[in-house]
Amino acid sequence: MKQRIRRNRPVILIRNVLLFLVATLALPSWVYAGDTLVVYSGRAERLIQPVLDAFQAESGISVQMLTADSTALINRLQMEGARTPADVLITNDAGTLERARELQLLQTTTIPDLDTTIPSRFRAPDNSWIGLSGRIWVIVYNTTMVRLGDISSILDLADPQWKGKIAIPGAGSVYLQTGVSVIRAVKGDEITTTFLQGLKDNAGSFVYGKNRQIVAAVARGEVAAGLVNHYYINRHLAKHPDAPIAPLLTDQEDQGMGVVLNAAGVGITAQTKRLAPAQALVRFLISPKGQRMFANVNKEYPLNPHVTAAPELLPLQSFQVALVPLSRLAQLRNPTMTVIENVGLR
Amino acid sequence: MLPLLYVAFSALTADPAVWRRLWATRVPELFLNTLSLSLGVAVINLTLGVSLAWILTRYTFVGSKIWDWLLILPLSIPSYVLAYTYTYLLKRGGTLEQVWQTIAGPEAVFFSPFSFAGAVLVLALNTFPFVYLLTRSAFKNFNVSFEEVARTTGADRVTTFFRVSLPLIRPSLIAGLFLAILYVASDFGAVSLLRFQTFTYAVYQQMTGRFDNTAAACLSLVLVACAFVFLFGERWFRQRSRFYQTTSRYRKPVPQPCRPLTALLFTGYLLLVFGAAFGLPVLLLIQWTVKAASAGEISHVFIGYVWNSVSLSGITATAAVICGIPLAYLACRRRTWASTFCVQGAYTGYVLPGPIAALAVLVLVSQTVPQLYGTILVLLMAYLVHFLPAALQGMESTLQQLTPNLEEAARSLGARSLRTFFHVTLPLVRGGFLSAWILVFVQCMKELPASLLLRQVGFDTLAVRIWLEASEELYQLAAPPALLIVVITIPVVLLLMRKDQT
Amino acid sequence: MSPPDDKPLVLELKNVSCSYEAGTRAVEGISFSARKGDIICLLGPSGCGKTTTLRAIAGFEPVSSGDIRLNGAIVSATDRQIPPERRRVGMVFQDYALFPHLTVRDNVGFGLTYATGDNHRSRIDEMLSLTGLSELARRYPHALSGGQQQRAALARALAPQPVLLLLDEPFSNLDPDTTERMRVELLHLLKTTQTTAVLVTHDHEEAFAMADYVAVLNNGKLEQFSTPETIYHLPVSPFVAEFVGQADFIPGTIRDSVVVTQLGTFPVPSGYRGGPEVVVMIRPDDVHIRENGNGEGTVKSRQFRGSEIIYGIRLGSGDVVHSSEASTRFFPLDAKVELEVIATHTVLFDRKP
Repeated sequence: MKQRIRRNRPVILIRNVLLFLVATLALPSWVYAGDTLVVYSGRAERLIQPVLDAFQAESGISVQMLTADSTALINRLQMEGARTPADVLITNDAGTLERARELQLLQTTTIPDLDTTIPSRFRAPDNSWIGLSGRIWVIVYNTTMVRLGDISSILDLADPQWKGKIAIPGAGSVYLQTGVSVIRAVKGDEITTTFLQGLKDNAGSFVYGKNRQIVAAVARGEVAAGLVNHYYINRHLAKHPDAPIAPLLTDQEDQGMGVVLNAAGVGITAQTKRLAPAQALVRFLISPKGQRMFANVNKEYPLNPHVTAAPELLPLQSFQVALVPLSRLAQLRNPTMTVIENVGLR
Repeated sequence: MLPLLYVAFSALTADPAVWRRLWATRVPELFLNTLSLSLGVAVINLTLGVSLAWILTRYTFVGSKIWDWLLILPLSIPSYVLAYTYTYLLKRGGTLEQVWQTIAGPEAVFFSPFSFAGAVLVLALNTFPFVYLLTRSAFKNFNVSFEEVARTTGADRVTTFFRVSLPLIRPSLIAGLFLAILYVASDFGAVSLLRFQTFTYAVYQQMTGRFDNTAAACLSLVLVACAFVFLFGERWFRQRSRFYQTTSRYRKPVPQPCRPLTALLFTGYLLLVFGAAFGLPVLLLIQWTVKAASAGEISHVFIGYVWNSVSLSGITATAAVICGIPLAYLACRRRTWASTFCVQGAYTGYVLPGPIAALAVLVLVSQTVPQLYGTILVLLMAYLVHFLPAALQGMESTLQQLTPNLEEAARSLGARSLRTFFHVTLPLVRGGFLSAWILVFVQCMKELPASLLLRQVGFDTLAVRIWLEASEELYQLAAPPALLIVVITIPVVLLLMRKDQT
Repeated sequence: MSPPDDKPLVLELKNVSCSYEAGTRAVEGISFSARKGDIICLLGPSGCGKTTTLRAIAGFEPVSSGDIRLNGAIVSATDRQIPPERRRVGMVFQDYALFPHLTVRDNVGFGLTYATGDNHRSRIDEMLSLTGLSELARRYPHALSGGQQQRAALARALAPQPVLLLLDEPFSNLDPDTTERMRVELLHLLKTTQTTAVLVTHDHEEAFAMADYVAVLNNGKLEQFSTPETIYHLPVSPFVAEFVGQADFIPGTIRDSVVVTQLGTFPVPSGYRGGPEVVVMIRPDDVHIRENGNGEGTVKSRQFRGSEIIYGIRLGSGDVVHSSEASTRFFPLDAKVELEVIATHTVLFDRKP
């Protein structure tokens, strides 16, 4: 190795390193640029970004977003405490929003036209979160393999006759957690556990992380039926209009449990320093325009009754919905996780 | 070290009910999954690594020199990138299944990528170069007399291979497998995309799916405990199986030319492995990137992600080298009880999978300086905890190669120790420190779980983008950042490889 | 060139050539043979092809022409090549190549896979006691001394009762004292076990001490195959003459059936067919010094070797010859002396070729 040692060399080296350090450390500081509204979103970026872009264009308020799992966002808000950069929290699950309320991470939203836009059963009692769109948990079935009448209750899926014929979401799915919470609230832990055990046995290896995969598996006829959020069926039909699949709304008999409904919603953080722009965003989201964008981009039910749902959806008023208040979902969450884990769903 | 103790503390003070629940529901399954995944990967690695190393050290044929290099390239693909290309390739009705159906009939089904087989395949393709590299150098420096003497006593080729060659390279083989298994156990990217439940993935799930981190800490503790047992087991085994060369003079193997048909067979095999582990995924990435570019999906936002990744990695690498200098110096020159403790403490970061490093830093920060939470510094700390060992190892070995006589000479000429360090030591070890810097830089570029958990608002890195897009199965959108990471990593892998060879 | 004997032929090489790559020949046209119990030494400088020949016999190098037979059956020819494991030859490598992952006992038993259990064990015990390793059977090779390692390698090679034992420079890794002892031990072992052996060495003393027949190789060719005595006293080429011991060459001319040289005249051996301009090989032990103040020779060098002293004497012509004298006979440097040559055989080489 040829190495000459000159006096100035190490000095230059150290100077370069220091320069680089200063330069790189200085760079990320633009992130907290003052007036930008910061949104924590548990809703997929693809579904929320267009709405935020529209808001930005209309109001001139710039928006920055962090997407992550809803629960992770709550944990994060809690840890960040008063220093949180977040102004608005959007999630796909009312349970998570309610949990945020309990932890006093959200503040009461006072918007004049709230009562006329979103029905109170889709809001927190103190308006600290507001539902924006509804999604129902349904059975997707292959029309060539299942006759109407074979299944009427969601609990029927645990029947041994469906062994190897159904597909279910993985234990990590918030939809599954919400659905199980509702079933527990209505039917109790014992029935729920039996149901989950049967579900697990019947699904075998057909456990999917993505609802879309469940719909696709049903469409291909690999399984006869599966549990999904309704809009995944519409999404699949939009691409493959001839697919032999249809939604089945369960537990519709008199006094039946009704289908599980969950809501995506929004809340303003307790610690926001940009209240006005945050309120502006919430108002945009409950306005007819915002509602159409927010719900229709994903074929969900707009919760503002003045806004009609996408034409391919069954009207919200035409079926029974489980009467478990959205605000109870949060309390049910942790014990539900335990039930799911005890059964050993993956 | 400190973060790890914090995790241990919060796990041990957890409600016994949490422990009971985890023990009853999660731990056995996770343990079994992690173990079987590691074993599955180990078995495939063993077969692939040993056979490839054998072919390339014992035979020459057209292109055998090039293969030598090509087979390291799979190391440049992050596990989550490989996993996401395979979710595409292996999906129902996907390319591979169509090919398979034309061979095996229309009813044939390929295994799903979201299964044990899928996870084993992806991780094995991702890690076999570890075993290959170490086995290769063992075979290259093998004393052929051992094989020949076995032949003269009546053992045929196959018997000789299994009774003599393989047992003799056992230490290298085990070192390679050890690396691969550690990689598998701490991998987050691939198992999360393939949704295969291992300890590392479960820690992430507990962190994101539950409203407190106790369960995550408990699982972390179990995993770290297993990792320690594994580490010591390996060390014990290595000490036991240390073999002595009976003399310094020995015959190295001379690669034999082989018949055209055999050469064709070998080339086909190599092509298959290389194609599966690198060629096919990268071709897919290129194709998607071209599609994305022509659809105008690569915007200035993408440049922003590149900048985020590069600046973060740059800062971390610089910080790692700066923190590493005193530690490496202590380790090499002033061995005392305290310094050994410090250095070994820093090395514990090795056994921390990404999500656990993130968790550790998170717990530490929230209990000591909560003001920092949500800032870029937290992520930097996690990176540092995670990658300092890698930097330290490179720097320590560089320093060790430098004879202390040089420094003593400078001291005898009247230079004070600080001056000696800056004027003599530092300039001489610059090369080694630079490669440590590069190593950490590339690791950071690829880092996923900690970035995912700790990133600041508006500070998505390339790896995070790939993961987010890939988990939505938006193949085209994930491709440009994935391709970029691969392209950045290739020269570094080759560079490290060349150093390894000289 | 087979030794005249009535014991069965074990090894025959006929016109064997080996080449590493097409064109370059490592070994060319070698023929020799060995009968049961013979010890053959392949002797030559490094790179002469002796190890290649040994490896060709073992089956590690293919032959490019000629054939090799073991017990009368062809094992190597251009069109057939019996793999090493089916030749029943034992081999002791230069570095012994004891398997480091096996104990001495397992090393010795390595080749006995196909023997039945009892035979297996008793054969190992037999070999271990024969080589004096019984006490060390449980040790690993790295815990053995050089001589013990060699004995273990020997025991391993002999355990399967090979037809032929090959030894590649077996003493090159030992210190001189051990070498001396091991030579005696090895010779004794080979003779008591009636083992036919081919041994490669570059040391002629070793070859002479061990061999029944010596094959001198140079540049891939067999120069001479004969008993040690013949090789020493009647070398067929200046190379052989020099390689197996110190030799001086004095120019001479054949006149009237005698060779006339500056040291006197010598008879022309009956086999000589070359031209009249020759050199005569003279070994130091054939040259005797006589004190003579008017002698033609001058003592130019003196090398004390214990039992003898080698003097270098410059002749009038400027040529230097060496003489070995008893160490009690002392001549000062630059002393004038006279030389007398007493040789039983005259060895002549043509000066032209």
